[in-house]
Amino acid sequence: MSKMKKIDYHGYFFIIPFFLIFITFTIYPILLTFYYSFTSYTGMGDPEFIGLANYARLVTDPYFFSAFYNTMYIWGINFGFQLGIALLLTVLFSDIRLKMKGLGFFRAAFYLPNLITIASVALLFGILLGWHHGTINHLLLDLGIISQPINWLNDPTTARWSVGLIGAWMWFGHTFIILMAGVSGISKDYFEAALIDGASRWQILSNVTLPLLKPIMLYVLITSLIGGLQIFDLPMLITDGMGAPEGSLNTMVLYLYNQAFKFNNYGYAAAVAYGLFLITVLFSLIMFKSMYRKNVKEG
Amino acid sequence: MKKDKVVKGIFYTLLILLVIISFIPFYMMIVNATRSNGDILQNGFTLLPGGALMENYDILIQYMNLWRGFANSLVIAVAVTLLSSYFSALTAFGFAVYNFKGRNALFILMLILMMVPGQLGLIGFYDLIQTMGFLDTYVPLIIPPIASPFIVFFLRQYLATTMHPSLLEAARIDGAKELTLFHKIGLPILMPAVATMAIFTFIGSWNNYILPLVVLFSPEKYTLPVMLGALRGSQVAQNLGAMYLGIAISVVPIMIAFLFLSKYIITSISAGAVKE
Amino acid sequence: MNNVGCSMKKWLLLFVVSLLGVGTLSACSNNSEEASGSSEDTLTIWSFTDELEEPIEVFKEVHDVEVELTIIPIEDYPTRLKPVLESGTEAPDVFTGELAFIKEWVEQDYWEDLSQEPYNVEDIEDDFVDYVFDLGRDSEGTVKALSWQTTPGGIYYRRSIAEKVLGTDDPEEIGERMSTMDGMFEVGEELKSAGYRLFPDEGAVRWFSQGQDPQPWVNENDELIMTDGRMNHFDYAKELREKDMTAFAPEWSPAWFEAMDGPVSYNAGWDEVDEKETKAEDEVEVFGYALPTWGLHSVLKTNVEETAGDWAVTNGPNSYFSGGTWLGIYKDSDKKDLAWEFVKMMTHDKEFLTDWAMETGDVLSYLPVTEEIKSEFSEDFLDGQNNYTFFLEEAKSIDSNIVTRYDQQIDTMFGNAVGEYVEGTKTKEEAIDEFYNLVQNAYPQIKVPNQ
Repeated sequence: MSKMKKIDYHGYFFIIPFFLIFITFTIYPILLTFYYSFTSYTGMGDPEFIGLANYARLVTDPYFFSAFYNTMYIWGINFGFQLGIALLLTVLFSDIRLKMKGLGFFRAAFYLPNLITIASVALLFGILLGWHHGTINHLLLDLGIISQPINWLNDPTTARWSVGLIGAWMWFGHTFIILMAGVSGISKDYFEAALIDGASRWQILSNVTLPLLKPIMLYVLITSLIGGLQIFDLPMLITDGMGAPEGSLNTMVLYLYNQAFKFNNYGYAAAVAYGLFLITVLFSLIMFKSMYRKNVKEG
Repeated sequence: MKKDKVVKGIFYTLLILLVIISFIPFYMMIVNATRSNGDILQNGFTLLPGGALMENYDILIQYMNLWRGFANSLVIAVAVTLLSSYFSALTAFGFAVYNFKGRNALFILMLILMMVPGQLGLIGFYDLIQTMGFLDTYVPLIIPPIASPFIVFFLRQYLATTMHPSLLEAARIDGAKELTLFHKIGLPILMPAVATMAIFTFIGSWNNYILPLVVLFSPEKYTLPVMLGALRGSQVAQNLGAMYLGIAISVVPIMIAFLFLSKYIITSISAGAVKE
Repeated sequence: MNNVGCSMKKWLLLFVVSLLGVGTLSACSNNSEEASGSSEDTLTIWSFTDELEEPIEVFKEVHDVEVELTIIPIEDYPTRLKPVLESGTEAPDVFTGELAFIKEWVEQDYWEDLSQEPYNVEDIEDDFVDYVFDLGRDSEGTVKALSWQTTPGGIYYRRSIAEKVLGTDDPEEIGERMSTMDGMFEVGEELKSAGYRLFPDEGAVRWFSQGQDPQPWVNENDELIMTDGRMNHFDYAKELREKDMTAFAPEWSPAWFEAMDGPVSYNAGWDEVDEKETKAEDEVEVFGYALPTWGLHSVLKTNVEETAGDWAVTNGPNSYFSGGTWLGIYKDSDKKDLAWEFVKMMTHDKEFLTDWAMETGDVLSYLPVTEEIKSEFSEDFLDGQNNYTFFLEEAKSIDSNIVTRYDQQIDTMFGNAVGEYVEGTKTKEEAIDEFYNLVQNAYPQIKVPNQ
């Protein structure tokens, strides 16, 4: 890059198709949605401009807040278990004294649930978790773990935990692969040096492995959060599509979808979309900031 | 040393247990797919398959041809992967090789918009597709992924570190045209990175649910996830065996494909993560 | 410069070609679809049930045409169909409407006007049960859709269980015993002590909680109406649960269907069973199902093998009606003649309808046929009972004015509210309050009582 590149307009021809499509199918819809968020558009007739009424409703809408709460609740369980299990596995497989074998097999086995279409996963658990006739209850009863069938998907707490844990089940393998990739990026010299210094397993973990994995863990955290805020397929298909039981699986995108495509309140749904967007931006900013502050401290 | 062996034994046991947990839902699915509704309801959990596979298949296929959904999803995912790979490479090449006015501004704009969640424009998108007359076609599923900022970003970073401008200069002196340069030099260099991204694109398109749910209406055009969603609340859902079979049909081929591709997929994920 | 121009042209060409490529790809599928769809003799029909499958076979034979039937589950049916009807691309020639949304749809410009030439359905108005014909009219009186059925409801029950526990299987006597809520619960108690369950789930009583004076969900002033009957439904449902009179088989679930054909596993009282040291309670049999006319052929007959012939139908504490399928011609169809032939066959073809009624036991709304067959009717599935006279009598008390366009969604929300109360997760007041809020949230224009 040190050489002065001369101006060359060929570049435009290469990027024009991208921007044509991008402007038409991404930017224009976003602006159009913004416009609709100020109207009472119902999908029929002309949209009527109603100013900030949709946003006024949004900030006082208990269902939007509960959708936010549910989304974070489910994501929290999902992420906690996903990262926890993946981290344990990573520590186990990166321990150079133990020299665990079979990484290739385990990685593949744990990753598999992530490849399955979420719709299949949702339907599968929707019936496996049935009450009196669900196979999981039958299994747990046979094993003597429970004495009464549990109505998993009919109680807000067990329903949220179920969805959160299913999410973790789907994603821990993926996170494990990424963390292992991060570890293999760490030079072996660090570990060997630590070993020679006579460091204990715990010291190696807390002084070498974890600090070096921090950036990649933050990457996992941010991608998982942005994905988690948009969780839709699983809560939609595992119960009635409206967030049952008691609205506990009503996530933000499910709420957006139902307002728009079930009740035809397009205008309000557009405002919900922007609410969701603001929340996403806010969370991303907070995280970037905390990441930056930590780096400064350590530096 | 001995202590280590015991510890290792415990760890392996735990790992195997985790593998079992990962697989048991699939196992229940496959077993139940071969059992009749009455068998599942009355006899509960079992490890042994039943004999109602064909009956279940008849019930399922009479209502909905899941194989059609498979084919639809495949056509869409392949088209999306090819188009987005080609055009992303093209765009990345433009950004990496040429120096033109507004290049950096456009690139940064693209990066910012990369952060915007897909659902933000959903309502406007639906309205646009309706106005264009593309509802109930595959156009809204196949064309928009041509512009995938993340892939462009990834490929541009890759090009910036792997391609020497001198390569291009030499070819230019030989009289090659710019597009030829891209096809003959840029694309081959980019291939490994394109392949990595292609996997994600394919999986993403294959699993996409909300977009086809919103824009497709005719059942024979449904993608696999939308077909599965439509099984819920249909008469197939009256029969647990048939329902399990429907889910199994959507899952088992993916498992088989994964058997052959797992190494490649996992390498791609690792590469994608480290290159960030 | 030459290079630029040339590569640009090439490049544009490539771009356009690739766009076209995809365009043709989708156009291809469109064309092939249309090619099969628009050929002279293929009629496309959309519906939410499979009950048209057999009539379609008949129609295909009589007219020597192809018919494509597309079935979409009812919860998605309106959302899927509406955009297709509005855009007109690949819209069906004939489509059905369910009772829950018929009111809304006749007001839209989707169905062909059947009052005019060449259909002239006004001429045959007197041949139909009044309410059925009227529901197909829009607010200006134009008929848009017809139906072949009438849908009063009753309670279908197992004769062998009745005989064993109640000492008789006679529909009249059992109907007499169940003609009040108290009576019905008494019967439930008797069944319970003999090891049987009155109903598969709590939802079954919703028809009888309404009482003799059912009201629409939303009145003409956009106000949500909460009647005493609806309030009572909470208590009746809870009573059923507490007295253990159901088999925990929720409506339309696999267990619900399974319970029609014999015992289903029942392990709610797992602990209890151990204490009593009996295994008898592992399985339980259901006595009755509250279903309308069509429940006989499209629910019971299609899901029952073992218990066929062991059924009878009688009245509950009050009359009710539920569901019904109307059909009409899409206004922009290019095969209106053929489409009309189908509608005609389905709704007022004497020969076809007679066969249909004899075979399925469906209760028709076409009087020339019902008059002819009702007195002699005998249904094998119901052990020879004449369900026709029973249901035609019940049909007299149908008031179609209680149907609103909100019914499907509001019924679902109400059912959930009752469920939450029955489960004990909410008090009655909380559940009702939550129900109002949900309705308000989905339909901001509706005024709810708690505001």
